[in-house]
Amino acid sequence: MSTYYAGLFADAGILLLGALSVYIILATGQLSLGNAGFMGIGAYITSYLTVMVGIPLTPALIIAAIISGIIGVIVGFPALRLKGIYLAIATLGFAEMVRSFLLNFDTMGGSGGFHGMKHVTVGYIWIWSGGILLLVMILERSRIWLEMRAVHDDETAAGLVGLNTVAIKIGAFGFGSAIAAIAGGLFAHHHVYIEPGNFGFERSVDFVLAVILGGSTAAPGALVGSILLVFLPEMLRSLADWRMAGFGALLVIVLLVRRQGILDRALLRRLTFSKAAS
Amino acid sequence: MSTKSGLPQALCTVLFASVLTCAASYASAQSATEISIGAIVPSSGPFAEWGRANTVTLKLLEQQTNDAGGINGAKLKIVVLDDAAKPAQAASSLRKLAGDDNVLAVAGPLTSSAAEVTFPVANEMKVVSTSQASSKPGVSKLNRPWAFRNTIDEGVLAQTTVPFFKKTFNVNSVGIIYDAKDATAATVGTRIMPAVLKDSGISILNESSPLSFNTGDLDVSAQVTKLKSLNPDGVVISADYSQAITVIREMKRQGLIKPVVGSTQLISSAILKAAPEIPVIAPSTFYATMKGDAAEKFVNAVQPLLRKESGLPAEIEPSMYDANIYEIVSMYIDAIKKTGVTGKPADLEADRTKIRDYMAKLEGFPGLGGPIGFNDDGDVIKAFYVLQGQNGTWDPKVRGCSSVPNHPAC
Amino acid sequence: MLLQQLVNGLTLGAVYTLLALSFSLVMGILGILNLAIAELFMIGGYIGFAAIGANLPLPVALVAGMIGGALISAVIEKLGYEPLRDAPVVTPMLSTLGFSIILQNVAINLWGSDPLQLPDQYLGGQLQFGWFTIGKMQLTVLVATVLLVAIVAFIVQKTSTGRALRAVAENREVARLLGVSANRLVLFAFMLSGSLAGAAGVLISLHYAAITPYVGVEVGLKAIAVMVVGGSTRIWGALVAGPLIGLAEVMTVAYGGSQIRDFVVYGLMILILLLRPQGLLGGAQIDRGQRV
Repeated sequence: MSTYYAGLFADAGILLLGALSVYIILATGQLSLGNAGFMGIGAYITSYLTVMVGIPLTPALIIAAIISGIIGVIVGFPALRLKGIYLAIATLGFAEMVRSFLLNFDTMGGSGGFHGMKHVTVGYIWIWSGGILLLVMILERSRIWLEMRAVHDDETAAGLVGLNTVAIKIGAFGFGSAIAAIAGGLFAHHHVYIEPGNFGFERSVDFVLAVILGGSTAAPGALVGSILLVFLPEMLRSLADWRMAGFGALLVIVLLVRRQGILDRALLRRLTFSKAAS
Repeated sequence: MSTKSGLPQALCTVLFASVLTCAASYASAQSATEISIGAIVPSSGPFAEWGRANTVTLKLLEQQTNDAGGINGAKLKIVVLDDAAKPAQAASSLRKLAGDDNVLAVAGPLTSSAAEVTFPVANEMKVVSTSQASSKPGVSKLNRPWAFRNTIDEGVLAQTTVPFFKKTFNVNSVGIIYDAKDATAATVGTRIMPAVLKDSGISILNESSPLSFNTGDLDVSAQVTKLKSLNPDGVVISADYSQAITVIREMKRQGLIKPVVGSTQLISSAILKAAPEIPVIAPSTFYATMKGDAAEKFVNAVQPLLRKESGLPAEIEPSMYDANIYEIVSMYIDAIKKTGVTGKPADLEADRTKIRDYMAKLEGFPGLGGPIGFNDDGDVIKAFYVLQGQNGTWDPKVRGCSSVPNHPAC
Repeated sequence: MLLQQLVNGLTLGAVYTLLALSFSLVMGILGILNLAIAELFMIGGYIGFAAIGANLPLPVALVAGMIGGALISAVIEKLGYEPLRDAPVVTPMLSTLGFSIILQNVAINLWGSDPLQLPDQYLGGQLQFGWFTIGKMQLTVLVATVLLVAIVAFIVQKTSTGRALRAVAENREVARLLGVSANRLVLFAFMLSGSLAGAAGVLISLHYAAITPYVGVEVGLKAIAVMVVGGSTRIWGALVAGPLIGLAEVMTVAYGGSQIRDFVVYGLMILILLLRPQGLLGGAQIDRGQRV
């Protein structure tokens, strides 16, 4: 694999984590347009720990994930009051506040950005991305996931049958925030430079886009979406000045043709079935 | 949706996407009869115009070189990639150029944010990368030995620009306004300018309450009203030209007609139209009306091509960044000619090292505005000019140099 | 200085009001966040520039911008929303994002990425009022905003189309049973929303006399905040929330906090979302956000 593709796969692995962070929250029927904020929190905490405190990357990522998860839970509580697109807008506002804070956070360079991280390999990134993807897929076969889907489908009914909807929703928020933080930590150590602009609205939307394009009903959909989103702009280079327009048009077309995303459960079953048969 | 129709539809979508996208392939046939140099420019996104003008400039240089017999008999091929001014895409572009296209050296990327992320990759892949526009302090210094910038650090430029500003307009106090979202502008606005202003004996009226806005802000009326209430002799605007235009227009609207000083980010023809009666002082290493054989020849050759290009304004002039990228690739060509670079795939690593050593030791290369060399930080040593933009034109006022006097490049 | 800052804040607020109204027409009725509105605003600005450049009077430029915005919005509705009507709300939101990417690319290729600027005379015409000055264009923006909001309020509250729209907003199923043709109404809502975004673009680009293909993004996000603060189901909410956010921004800058301006604005938005999820003027009933 050439370095070029290795670099793109590293980007895709990081995006996959971001997408999974949205996917888990979405599984409970909540849309977050602010996960770039948690990604930024993760990137800055991890970098602070590795560069300024001097601890190794792996424990730094875990600490960042825990802190970000706690912040996610704290943000998640008031968010219980909000639903649908209003929740999405509130999370968007939260991410903008994080970005605005980081711009003024002079300890770590403020708007000038922060350096000094050590580069990590694409393999290390994919140990995390693949591992967490696997974890989410295992979770999907568990009872908790059924409860999450129940909250997604009908929160009132889920509450009536005795599910703790508050715990499920808050838990999903916390877990999602923790994964986004890992994406941020890996991002910082892949690009070895971070600035607050890296964690803006566009990034949050990319996460959601990867989930919806890839398929929001099965975790591997996020994988398909992430790879598509990273590789598509590269493959569209032949369009020259119209590259972004081509990207936008393809985006709309894919949504129109496959509103449930490229990969859904039905397709996934067929794929795995045919593999087993052959 | 039924299970049956799911699979073909999904496959169709993927197929459709791939047919559309894989329409062009990037063959990079590498032979000794062809020499490849890479370039990373932002042809889409917020600096699209600069990237597109850069591309035209590079095509011209490619043709000029090949018309003159190529490089040591081999044809020059410049592979230009668009990074959309996005750091991640700039880094991927460098990986592609160095790893897949086997280029000998890379010109670009343009922005400092992209350079911050791309230069470490250049070091990892051991290929020279020279930015045509990054001027955020210390970016190439952090990434020795493969990163270079054909731009002068803003800290050096301000030391000549600010005293000229003070003397010409009799400025004793200023207000500073900067773009907080732009890493270069914020560094210049919060660190470099305040230090240089103090050294020059100019007081900063809003030192304790800095005024900032964000890239993309339409409205800066509140900031300008605040500036006006400070009643400064002059205004420091640290922002790229298109944001600075918003500020200058608002100054004019509110009647704050005071001279403006800033960094190289201000240099553009568009800013001259913002408020012709407000003088704008900024440093530059090149301007389209520059005198001298090399500069005039360059402008005469590239300007008609730029104006012919669709997607660029009809009255466009070559910018400092066109001149810079032209010089960068010219240096690479000179290095290939003079240091025994073979261009053979087997010698790729050795060839790249030769180009790096050539750049590091470079002195007195004939650039468009005079001799060029590089300092230990990887930043260029060359002459620059403090320009005064007023009534629609940029006029050179002071000639400076980014090194000690008597340096061969000065 | 304070009075001058109030004028600044009100003008900025007017921009937000028009755009927020544009967002809320689609959001309040269909529950869809149409992300292309920010770019319709930008395109409206370029149309205004083109009209003024061709020496057409301001009202003509305004109408041209509104027609342009409405037409593009109609295309977006037909191609990007209607086929996805039954999908979860996030899907049409992302298809409008696709359109906004296309529109921005088109603008760059048509008009370049450098700012376009109008000649000086458009900046002139200041009226002096003792403590503060106000530009003629600024005054035009304020008056036009109030008029446009009033027209929209009239359409939504007094006409039969408006009543049908509100019926759809209340309950789409019931509206369908009552024989309200949802398809045409949705198209109408999109076009009305697009024409407001176009009008905002014309007014604002002429007021600042400069425009780039990137003006939509930041303003668009702020306008979403304004819509939320005002309450997406009440027309007049935007007229209160726009100036409120505009003044909050301006005052933060005036009192030395320009760096934390966005922090304040979005913080205010979240606070209002939590305390009054229905918005300042959102009425008693809490919006039932649709499932995503």
